[in-house]
Amino acid sequence: MSGGALTAVIGPIAAVVLVCVMWFRGTGWLLDRVGSGLRPWVFLGPSVVMLVLWLLYPALATVWASVHDADGRGWLGARNYHWVFTDPLARQALCNTVVWAIVVPTTATLIGLFAARITDRLNWGGMARAMMFLPMAISFVGAGVIWKFVYEYRPEDQAQIGLLNALLQVPRPWLMLPGWNTLCLMVVLIWAQAGFATVILSAALRRVPPPVIQAATLDGAGDWARFRRIEVPHISGAISVVWTTLFIVSLKTFDIVFVMTGGQWGTQVLSALVYDLMFRGSADFGRAAAVAVVLMALVVPVMIRTIRIAGQEGR
Amino acid sequence: MIRRGAVHGAALILVLIWTVPVLGLVITSFRDRAQILETGWWQIAAENRAVRAMRLDPGRGDLLVPGERLIGWGIAARAPAAFPPGAVADLPRGQLTVDAQGHYRLDVPGPPTRVFVTVASRPQLTLANYRQVLGDPGVWAALGHTLVVTIPAVVLPVLLAAFAAYALVFLPVPGRAVLIAVIVGLLAVPLQLTLIPVLRIYTALGIGHSYIGIWLAHTAFGLPVAIWLLRNAMQAVPHASIAAARIDGAAEFTIFRRIALPLSLPAIAALSIFQFLWVWNDLLLATVFLGSTPDRQVLTGLLRDLLGSHGGAWQVLTASAVVSIIVPVVVFFGLQRALIRGLMAGTAED
Amino acid sequence: MAPDGERVTRMQQGLGLIGAVLAIMVASGVTGTAAAQGLIFPPDVDARFHWQDYQTLQGQDLRGQRLTILGTWLGQDKALFDSVIAYFEAATGADVVYEGSSSFEQQIVIRTQAGAPPDLAIVPQPGLAADLARQGFLRPLAPDLGGWLLENYAAGDSWRRIGTYRDPQGTERLYAFPYKAEIKSLVWYVPENLAEAGYPVPETYQDLRALTERIVADGGTPWCIALGSGGATGWPATDWVEDLMLRLNTPADYDDWVAHEIRFQDPRVLAAIEAFGWFATSDSFVDGGRAAVAGTDFRDSAQGLFTAPPRCYLLHQASFIASFFPAGTELGRDADFFYFPTRAQAGPDRPVLGAGTLFVKLTDNPASDAFIRFLTLPLAHEIWMAQTGFATPHKGVNPQVYATPTQRKLGEILRDATVFRFDGSDLMPGAIGAGAFWRGMVDYVGGQSAAQVARQIDSRWDDLQAPQ
Repeated sequence: MSGGALTAVIGPIAAVVLVCVMWFRGTGWLLDRVGSGLRPWVFLGPSVVMLVLWLLYPALATVWASVHDADGRGWLGARNYHWVFTDPLARQALCNTVVWAIVVPTTATLIGLFAARITDRLNWGGMARAMMFLPMAISFVGAGVIWKFVYEYRPEDQAQIGLLNALLQVPRPWLMLPGWNTLCLMVVLIWAQAGFATVILSAALRRVPPPVIQAATLDGAGDWARFRRIEVPHISGAISVVWTTLFIVSLKTFDIVFVMTGGQWGTQVLSALVYDLMFRGSADFGRAAAVAVVLMALVVPVMIRTIRIAGQEGR
Repeated sequence: MIRRGAVHGAALILVLIWTVPVLGLVITSFRDRAQILETGWWQIAAENRAVRAMRLDPGRGDLLVPGERLIGWGIAARAPAAFPPGAVADLPRGQLTVDAQGHYRLDVPGPPTRVFVTVASRPQLTLANYRQVLGDPGVWAALGHTLVVTIPAVVLPVLLAAFAAYALVFLPVPGRAVLIAVIVGLLAVPLQLTLIPVLRIYTALGIGHSYIGIWLAHTAFGLPVAIWLLRNAMQAVPHASIAAARIDGAAEFTIFRRIALPLSLPAIAALSIFQFLWVWNDLLLATVFLGSTPDRQVLTGLLRDLLGSHGGAWQVLTASAVVSIIVPVVVFFGLQRALIRGLMAGTAED
Repeated sequence: MAPDGERVTRMQQGLGLIGAVLAIMVASGVTGTAAAQGLIFPPDVDARFHWQDYQTLQGQDLRGQRLTILGTWLGQDKALFDSVIAYFEAATGADVVYEGSSSFEQQIVIRTQAGAPPDLAIVPQPGLAADLARQGFLRPLAPDLGGWLLENYAAGDSWRRIGTYRDPQGTERLYAFPYKAEIKSLVWYVPENLAEAGYPVPETYQDLRALTERIVADGGTPWCIALGSGGATGWPATDWVEDLMLRLNTPADYDDWVAHEIRFQDPRVLAAIEAFGWFATSDSFVDGGRAAVAGTDFRDSAQGLFTAPPRCYLLHQASFIASFFPAGTELGRDADFFYFPTRAQAGPDRPVLGAGTLFVKLTDNPASDAFIRFLTLPLAHEIWMAQTGFATPHKGVNPQVYATPTQRKLGEILRDATVFRFDGSDLMPGAIGAGAFWRGMVDYVGGQSAAQVARQIDSRWDDLQAPQ
């Protein structure tokens, strides 16, 4: 890399880092000069402004668009929502998304819990957890290629290049079999996210105070009973954080479906449907927005639960 | 002892299931396109059998390249291995002889004759895919652009989120519970819907295709997760020590800097890795807010470019996937200790 | 804690540093413009090119003008287009920046909606260009270009009509200039394999069906048909059905079909779908049997022509498929194509199904007009023709410039076409042409009846909200 190119890289990075340092210092300087009522907003203000402009405003604009027509001009009322709940393809996407949002976080959390429990006792457990975390570093396009060489189908008389069909002897076109294909796609996301669950839950397990475990052992509880009755309840907070995070990730699943099946053969999900409606020619922003609002509505139960818990924490 | 063996075994099986697909990617990246479509990557160690069509000029020559073994040969596509090594084939206008070593003699005048040979060869690996990816003149510039995008897009949201999380945990924020719930709700906003309104704002401000635009976009879209994670981490900070510092009359910023921040450093390290992975692997925001002209194309965009207009170059795809995961993996292993401690702090329940 | 005075000094130092760094940023941005590229064929050297066009071009002075173009060409295509742009830049002094995107459809919608369009866009689907025109995002081209297309492009009025759409008020105007075409009506084969088995190259549609049956009778597999294309799986079947529509029905029927004035459930369309089914849904007619058709990747199935024994003898695919043939394949010798034949009773008409890229104007930048004028010059076509992967319906170019006999043959099919019809799935609304139609064809190959899938596609189409 030439000197000029190096400057072009280091220059902007250094500039931003410097701005951040100044900001950090400036915040301290400002805090000493405002009343205590304003202090939370010195900390919180920039984040709130960004969240409002980049996320809340587009979200509200989406709600507005969802009651208008394809070009965002004419008022349609609830007609787009009626479409979402009556159109066979949209309903299928809704059903699939609900399945994703239940199966993926639950399975990944359970696998994570199991993996955390067993790797916790091994001297090479750290390495094992790192290997399970590896898929997180791979982009979805990369993951798409990886799984092409797992699910790829060739007729029976030809050499299989997909691992799954090679192992099963009787080749089947997995990504085209309704039901099975959604399962195959969910496996990809579970594969990508289970390492996250493993690492977090393993860390949480190690925070269970030894006296608690010893007391259970003295009571004569076996390994399994101790795990189920003592350790799992003790880390329920961590389990809930993992599940919630993966729930939202699954809800927004887009890349895996888009790259591997394009939503065909009954694998459509809501966020890929949003993409189709917006960008695959003859854009219909109204329907896309209605689908997106339904998608966002699915997270409301989690929000309510958050409000309850955060309210209890109030000091 | 049996139980311990079972635990080792179970862990090994899990790790295998998780890494075998990645292994497939790495092995595939060293094969050429024909091989990739011919045999599974797990057969890389097996003897490779291939049928090759060749055009021979009259005279003598060699059909094999070093390392190959002749299995059969033929002069018709429908029967490509009709003749064993050593046989003589009668052609309309002459004869073709091929011996076991692949030496041939062709007595047919005129234009070249098409011949098929079936050969077995030892597995072959190639670096050509990597040469193609890393030999692209734009690859180093693209790496530079990715770094320019990534580092500020990690530092900025982490700083903002640390401030916000501190306020949400330790300061009296009116409507705190609702604010937190809204942040969780914003996690679910589909990114595709934000692109047009945000780009409209950028165009009005004149930061349409610029680094500033993409830094701010990554910062804003990363904020909900970042605040969510750091808030959990800061809840683990003992409230007693904060209260004690307040009674001692310490300034708010001093408490943040000297107590809250150091105690959540592991969580900050963890968050930095997540944000880093996300920004590093991003193509969508880079295409929308930075564009893909050569003067600022990022690595993911360049690698996509190498696949050409119709895709399907699996060998390039695998090699570029390996190239693009190297840096995140190095970062991940480098910060692993901090990461594990950070996640621990991030999920503490009190 | 540091005393305040010291803190202020540090802050000043910091600000100074920021200033210095910002200055470097600005400087590196300004010096970052690329130097003028060399021209791949030096002007006036090779007499086959229309070099007088280059002099015409030099008459314009566009120094200091910047022109941005967004398109789908990536990798090699992008390098080739850049080599064409270089002539425009060198002659006029304009600065042209071409940007290729793998998610073009998304990018063009986002950028136009957000008010940040490129000056020119290279749109592969007329349907998308028509949408942009209806929404008022396109600028009409100079009116005389319509007449120019009629006179200088082959296939009568076909190309002008492809670039003509309704504006927001409903008036038809010329909005798009076609440049670079792809031919879909091709059947690829290995000449030596056909010759070895004594099979003739079919002259008529009936011959093609007879050849298919004869290969099966001889124990071979005639066709490689694969619809797999990741998220776009199904599209190769739409090319089949469109080609058959043009052969079993009239071009007018074809136009009515893509406009949904003839429905998919119409007997004429069902006949085309079932004609495709004749080829694709018999286990013995296709490599791997019917079950493999939908699941195999179209890019990989091209290999079947070249194996020994051959997995298939024939492959219906567009001209670009040659880039997926095995490395070292020499077109014309190792692989060749014939025109997908018409019915014996059809007469001399040669309908050609194809695709192409359309240049549309999204801003009032005067350099855009100059660039579109540049594309009317034979030279702009010849630069790419002389390299690889380019065919043009422009009648004024010198066919001797085509780099290979195969490319010249493709160019001649375009030039001699009496009727050119654009890929119908690119003309239909996206939800049909890039959705229901693909899905329907996959379902059809999977075992549903033609009537069943036609009914599903029609109901999707009816369900689309009519634009206001």
